[in-house]
Amino acid sequence: MKEKVVIIRYAEIHLKGKNRGFFERLFTVNLERCLKGLRHELRRTSGRYLVEKFDPDRVEEIESRISNVFGVHSYSVGLKTEADFDAILECALEVCPEEGTFKVETHRGDKRFPYTSMEVNAEIGARLLAAHPKLSVDVHSPAAYVYVDIRERGAALVFGEFKKGRGGMPVGASGKGMLLISGGIDSPVAGYMMAKRGMQVDCLHFHSYPHTNELAKEKVVSLAKTISKFTNAYRLTTISVTRIQEEIHAKCAPELNVTLLRRFMFRLAERLAKKRGGQCLITGESLGQVASQTIEGMTSSNAVVALPVLRPLVGFDKDEIIEISRKIGTYEISVEPYEDCCTVFLPDFPAIKPKLSFIEEEEKKLDVEGLVEDALASVEVISF
Amino acid sequence: MIYLDNAATTRPLKKAVADATRAINELYYNPSALYAGGIQTHKEISKAREELISLIADERFELLFASCGTEADNQALFGCVGRGNFVTTEGEHAAVYECAKELKRRGTDVRFASLNRDGSVKVEELLRLVDEHTSLVSVIHVNNETGAVNPIAQIAEKVKKKNARALFMSDGVQAFGKIPVHLSGNIDLYSVSAHKIGALKGTGALYKRKNLNLSPYLFGGGQEGGKRSGTENVFGILAFASAAKQTFSSLKENGARIARYREMFYEKLDKSVFSRISPQEGTPYILTVAARGLRGETLVRMLSDNGVYAGTGSACSSKKPYSRVIEACGVEKELLNGVLRFSFSQETEEREIQEGADIVNRVVKEYYGRMG
Repeated sequence: MKEKVVIIRYAEIHLKGKNRGFFERLFTVNLERCLKGLRHELRRTSGRYLVEKFDPDRVEEIESRISNVFGVHSYSVGLKTEADFDAILECALEVCPEEGTFKVETHRGDKRFPYTSMEVNAEIGARLLAAHPKLSVDVHSPAAYVYVDIRERGAALVFGEFKKGRGGMPVGASGKGMLLISGGIDSPVAGYMMAKRGMQVDCLHFHSYPHTNELAKEKVVSLAKTISKFTNAYRLTTISVTRIQEEIHAKCAPELNVTLLRRFMFRLAERLAKKRGGQCLITGESLGQVASQTIEGMTSSNAVVALPVLRPLVGFDKDEIIEISRKIGTYEISVEPYEDCCTVFLPDFPAIKPKLSFIEEEEKKLDVEGLVEDALASVEVISF
Repeated sequence: MIYLDNAATTRPLKKAVADATRAINELYYNPSALYAGGIQTHKEISKAREELISLIADERFELLFASCGTEADNQALFGCVGRGNFVTTEGEHAAVYECAKELKRRGTDVRFASLNRDGSVKVEELLRLVDEHTSLVSVIHVNNETGAVNPIAQIAEKVKKKNARALFMSDGVQAFGKIPVHLSGNIDLYSVSAHKIGALKGTGALYKRKNLNLSPYLFGGGQEGGKRSGTENVFGILAFASAAKQTFSSLKENGARIARYREMFYEKLDKSVFSRISPQEGTPYILTVAARGLRGETLVRMLSDNGVYAGTGSACSSKKPYSRVIEACGVEKELLNGVLRFSFSQETEEREIQEGADIVNRVVKEYYGRMG
C-alpha cells in the first residue's frame, strides 16, 4: 500500500532550544491555514511534518501553497509505504529514472528495522539495477537520488528530491508590526521581508479621496491580498489624509508637503498600532531613493513616534526590490498607473534635507492633534 | 444622477434595447446557417447594413461591422497603410494615435499635423505633410476632447488634389449621429461606434468605399466579405441600426436644442474659474472647459459625490496628469490639469443643464475653499 505524501522540513526552529514547542505549534497552525480547503491530514513526526491523505491530483497545489509558508526549509513529494524491501522497491521504481546514474541514500530513523542503512542502500540499489539495465550507480555525483527514510511504526518514505522552501521564521513568531502600504513597489516587499522573519504584518493605507482615485485603493487591496498568502494578514485598514494634505497645502511651506504628511502618517500608524497591539511601524523606505527618504527625512518622521520604525529595504537598490516584488507577484500590480496620496500636491522642489527645527516651526501652523483625531475617525477596515 | 459624460457612452435608447431584446430572443440563429431562421437573421443584418449606409453615404460605399470604433480604426489603418508615409493629426483619439505610434515603430514614416487652439487640425500644415509618397491620411472628424469639427470633405478633396492615390480616412465616432455627415467621394474610410448614439457597447462599423482593397484583419469563417471574420453580433447590429434611425430622424432639431443647452450651461458656469476650450462652432454635444489651478480629476470625483457625472477627457497618470490632445492645443500650463468635459446626448434635459451647472459651481467653490 503506497500513498503520495508531502514531507516538510523546517528552518531555524531547531535552533530555538526551550522555545521550540512554541515555534512548532505556530508552524503547525500556519501550515494548516495554508492547506485550508484541501482535504488532507497534517502530522508532526520527529523533526518534520507530513501531509497525507490528500487527493493526489492536487499535489501541485499543495506544493505551491507550502512553498509560500515561512519557516519551510525544504519539502519533498514522496511515497509512504510499509517498511519492507518489496514495498520500498515498488516506490523506488516510481521515483528513480529508468536510465542514467543514481544513488540510494537511506536514513534509518527506526532502529528496530532489521537492516542497516548501508544494507538497504545496497539491496534497493541492486534491485533497481536489475529492473533497469540502463541504470548505473554513481555514489559521488549521481544524476538522480532515491532517498529512503525508514520511520517509526513500520513506515518508510521514498522520495527523489529536496525542494527549497521559502525559509525564514513562522509568521507570528516575531511580534506584530504596522506596515504603511502605498500602491508602490517597495512597501509590499517590506511587508514580505518582515513576515519572512516571523512578524505578523498589519497593513495600513492612506488615501486622499477625492484627490486620489477610488481605484487606487482597489489596487492596494489587491497588493495586500497578494502578500497575504505570505503574511497571513487578511485585512487592510485605510485612513483618509485628505484634510491633512489640504491643510498642509494651504498653510505650510510647499517644499515640506511630503515631509509633513509623512509625520502625520507615522502618528496615525502609531496610534492604530498601539490600539491593536502592534510593536513597530514598517515602511518600504530605501535610503536616498526619493527626496523624503533621506536620513534627514527619516529622522523627521521618527521624531514624532515612540515605536521603533523598521525599514527592511533601507539598504536595497531599486533593482533588488523590483526583483523581489516580481518573485512575490506584487510588481505587476504595483506598476498600474494610479496616483497615491504622496504624488498629489507634490511640490516642484521638495526639501531633501529638511531641518527638524524648520519642520516643527511649520507644523505649528496646523492643529496637529485635531487633524489626527479627524483622520482616525475615517478608519475603514477591508477584510478579504 | 445628472449624466453629462455622453461622449464616453450614452444610455441605450428604449427602442434600441427593445430591438436588441427581440434579436436575442428570436434571431439567435447563426446568420451563416442555411435554414430559414439563419437566412432571416442574415436578411435582418443586411437590412441594418443598408439602413446605416443610407444615413450618411450612398451606393459607392459599403459597411463592415466591427466590435467597436477602436477596432474599425485599427482595421482601416493596418489594412491600408502601405508603402510611403502616413499623415495624421495630433488631435486623434487614442484608437488612431496609438496605431500611428505602432506603425512608426514598425518603420512607417508617420507625420503628425499640429492643432489649432480649439483642437481642430492646422489644415495647411497637414497638406504640406502630404506628398507623392503618402499612402494614407487620417483626420478625426470631431475632436473627442474639445468638440472641434474638422472639415473632412474639404480636407479630403485637397489631399486628393495633391496626391490622387492617397487614401483618406476619418474617425467619425463623435460625429456620427451628432452633426450632419455625408461621405463624399474623396473619403475612403469612416469609422463609427454604436454606443455613442444610444445603442450598445460591442458594436462599431467601418464605412468603406467599394473597390477599395482592405487587407483582412480577422481570418476565419469569411464574414463581412472576408475582411472581418467572426459570427456577427446580431443584437448589437440591429440595436445600432435602430438607434441610428431614431437619432438621424431628428438630427437637426436635436442639434439645435443641444447647442442651446450647451450655451445655457456655459453661461451659468462661474467664469472667474472656467475658461472655455470648446469652440462655439464645434459639435453641440461637447463642452470642454478648464478650471484654473484645480485638478480635473479631483473635480470629477467631487462632482460624482454631488450627483453629476462628467469627464476629464483624458487618462491620468502621475507622470503626465493631463491630456496629450489638450496640451497639443496649446492650452496654458495652469489650465492643463483642470480640464473638464461635459457632454450631452439627444436625451439630455434642460433641467439637467440648469441643475448640473449649479452643482458644478457649488463644487468648485467648495474645492477652492478646501485648498485655502
